Amino acid sequence: MIAAPAPLTARAALQPGAYHAPAGTAAQAVPFLRFDGVTIRLGGREILSPTSFDVARGEFVCIVGPSGCGKTTLLRAASGLVTASAGEVRRNGVKMTEPSREVAFVFQDYGRALLPWRTVEGNVSLALEAAGVPAAQRAPRIADVLGKVGLAKHAHKFPVQLSGGMQQRAQIARCLAQKPELMMMDEPFGALDALTRQSLQDELARLVREDGLTVLFVTHDLEEAIYLGDRVIALQANPGPGRPSLARMIDVKIPRPRDQLSTKEHPEYLHLRRELFAFIEQGHD
Amino acid sequence: MTNGRLLRWLRPWVFPVVLVGAFEWYARRAAALGSDALAPPSAAAKALAGAAIDGSLWTATGFTLGTAALGLLLGAVLGIALGVALGLSRRAAQLGSVSIEVLRPVPSVALIPLAMLGFGFGVRMELAIVAFATFWPLLVLVQAAVQQVEPRLLEVSRVLGLSARERAFKIVLPAIVPRLFVALRLGVAVALVVAVTVEIAANPNGMGYAMMIAQQSFDPALMLAWLGWIGIVGFAVNAGMLMLQRVVSRRMGVPS
Amino acid sequence: MNDSRIGLYRVGSLGVLLSLVALWWIASNAGWVSRVFLPTPQATIQSLLEGLNLSGGDGNGELLAFTRATVGRMIEGWLLASLFGVLLGAAIGVSPSVRAWVQPTLEFIRPLPASALLPLAISIFGLNPGMVLFVVAFGAMWPVLLATVHGFAAVEPRLSEVARCLQMSRAAYIWKMGLPNAMPDILAGMRLALTIALIVAVVGEMIASQSGLGQAILLAARAFRASDLFAGIVLLGLIGFASNALLAFAEQRLLRWQRP
Repeated sequence: MIAAPAPLTARAALQPGAYHAPAGTAAQAVPFLRFDGVTIRLGGREILSPTSFDVARGEFVCIVGPSGCGKTTLLRAASGLVTASAGEVRRNGVKMTEPSREVAFVFQDYGRALLPWRTVEGNVSLALEAAGVPAAQRAPRIADVLGKVGLAKHAHKFPVQLSGGMQQRAQIARCLAQKPELMMMDEPFGALDALTRQSLQDELARLVREDGLTVLFVTHDLEEAIYLGDRVIALQANPGPGRPSLARMIDVKIPRPRDQLSTKEHPEYLHLRRELFAFIEQGHD
Repeated sequence: MTNGRLLRWLRPWVFPVVLVGAFEWYARRAAALGSDALAPPSAAAKALAGAAIDGSLWTATGFTLGTAALGLLLGAVLGIALGVALGLSRRAAQLGSVSIEVLRPVPSVALIPLAMLGFGFGVRMELAIVAFATFWPLLVLVQAAVQQVEPRLLEVSRVLGLSARERAFKIVLPAIVPRLFVALRLGVAVALVVAVTVEIAANPNGMGYAMMIAQQSFDPALMLAWLGWIGIVGFAVNAGMLMLQRVVSRRMGVPS
Repeated sequence: MNDSRIGLYRVGSLGVLLSLVALWWIASNAGWVSRVFLPTPQATIQSLLEGLNLSGGDGNGELLAFTRATVGRMIEGWLLASLFGVLLGAAIGVSPSVRAWVQPTLEFIRPLPASALLPLAISIFGLNPGMVLFVVAFGAMWPVLLATVHGFAAVEPRLSEVARCLQMSRAAYIWKMGLPNAMPDILAGMRLALTIALIVAVVGEMIASQSGLGQAILLAARAFRASDLFAGIVLLGLIGFASNALLAFAEQRLLRWQRP
């Protein structure tokens, strides 16, 4: 079967380029992750109007948009933390209604997502305990994952003793310990300073590449989205009746591995940056 | 919508009504079997009404509340005064710390026999113990509140050359009002509990004593009536203080 | 403030206490306050030593037995109270619907003095040590129960979501998230419960004529033995101090993770 183009509803097909699987991905009859008319209403307001797109295995998809556009809600619906009012999310063809261990979620407020009474080690262990990994096998897996995020020396510290960046890395380590198929990240670096953010971005890119993870990454930072993503999806807030939240979908054809200096001077990067900025400005009147 | 609201109004009452109903059934059976230890709530309610009519309810309640209030007044005035003083002066706080740590843990009930010795029975004895019991929490809480007054305000008072009295009354006290009310709320709760406890242990006046007498005269209905009434009074006083505290906090712009 | 100055203030603080004792000494020895109400410090110490069998003389050593009785009641009641308080509190706190039905009733019981249950307990159980223990345990249970309910109810919502993402079982959630989260509240509740346990133990001894410090100081007052009375008060103060200090120390160890 040839790869069918994304099932964009007529309403979502605004942007010039339709989605197609990145070069090299095997043609799939069933896409890894499919959003089909996902609509979310809360308290009488439509936070997210019907949104549809596909995500292929191994893709790094960034979702951007102004506050109130529903990007965080979309992510939570995808992980089962929130039920969509209409439409559905399917992973491997199976409808997702409840959270699953195979979908890891990295929260923005890392301080509140770590158990303050457990050490870094203990927090990572929580994921393994929940998965029923026998005690003997836990220690090596914890050490492995802490090594990957560079927290091996801080394994015995409590979250309150760690800096913001280290706490977020600890959360990421716990998510990696789940050996997830899919990683949802909700503005994970939003609360960190610029330098920490940059180094974590590169670390994340490396980890994702090493483990072949599929990532849905929500951010308000356009440059971060272009830097990290294979594809950037831009949502708009209050689209109006009958118009979709999903406003633009852009492929990021910048080669990997990327780095903070040369990538940001790459012509494609500058072009996309200009395009996205203009688009966001439009949406602001 | 009204159905949901009705449910929300009724819901807090369901559990206690079920409990009281079960107790009623059990106590009636026990009474039928000749027990004089328990009485059904219906009998207790009658006894309570009786006490209300013949005035004994109001005399005893008045005594307890009045003595608790006087004791709290004394304990609070002293506690707030010392708390402000120690809160403003780190040196004084340090110097007083050992004495406070030694005297504070003495349980107020341990002083009941001493107060009996010194004052006999009556208002003074109970008042003294309530004052002792409420002095400490107020001291500690007010001291902490004063220590947390915005240091900028204290600097302003120095720059303006305010006297110590002016500083205390114009800057410190207004600044600590919200937390002062929290402390007073706690003080009221402590005062009431200690007053009733003193009456149960020794003082032949007030609600606690009335309850003891009822038990000793093998009148379980009246005893339970007093127990329930003490609960109601305590609940009402505390709820009233909570409302007062919330009003004050809102007026002073503090999220309660 | 550097270390030497802190040490100086500590000595000064002790000095303030000693000057209060000196004031006591003068007031009683000079007769400013009648020795019927205010015994001299020496007499108090004498009573203490005799009562605790430390004076090597003809001390009757009663105070030691009384102290043991009161402390025993306090601790036993407190342990029972803590156990049941945590179990019941966890059962109630973990489920928002149970909480909604039961919480208002708990809030009504909260302000009730624990000692107020003594007459009821006396009429049911009679005048015996078990009755006092029951009221001590029942009265001390409420702060622990209420604190546990609060601790379980106030789990950080983000952590609940993490538990859902990890597909943690309900039991695992209660044991690994609910309980540790509630621990600071539970420990604070247990501290309050200990003070209540001491108070109810003393009052119970006073009115139920049970052997212990409560009864001892009541009898001493009635017999105008002021020094014995003060000795008993000192011991009760010591018990209050020591139990609180031990618990605060345990709290510090258990809640190490709160401090950076």
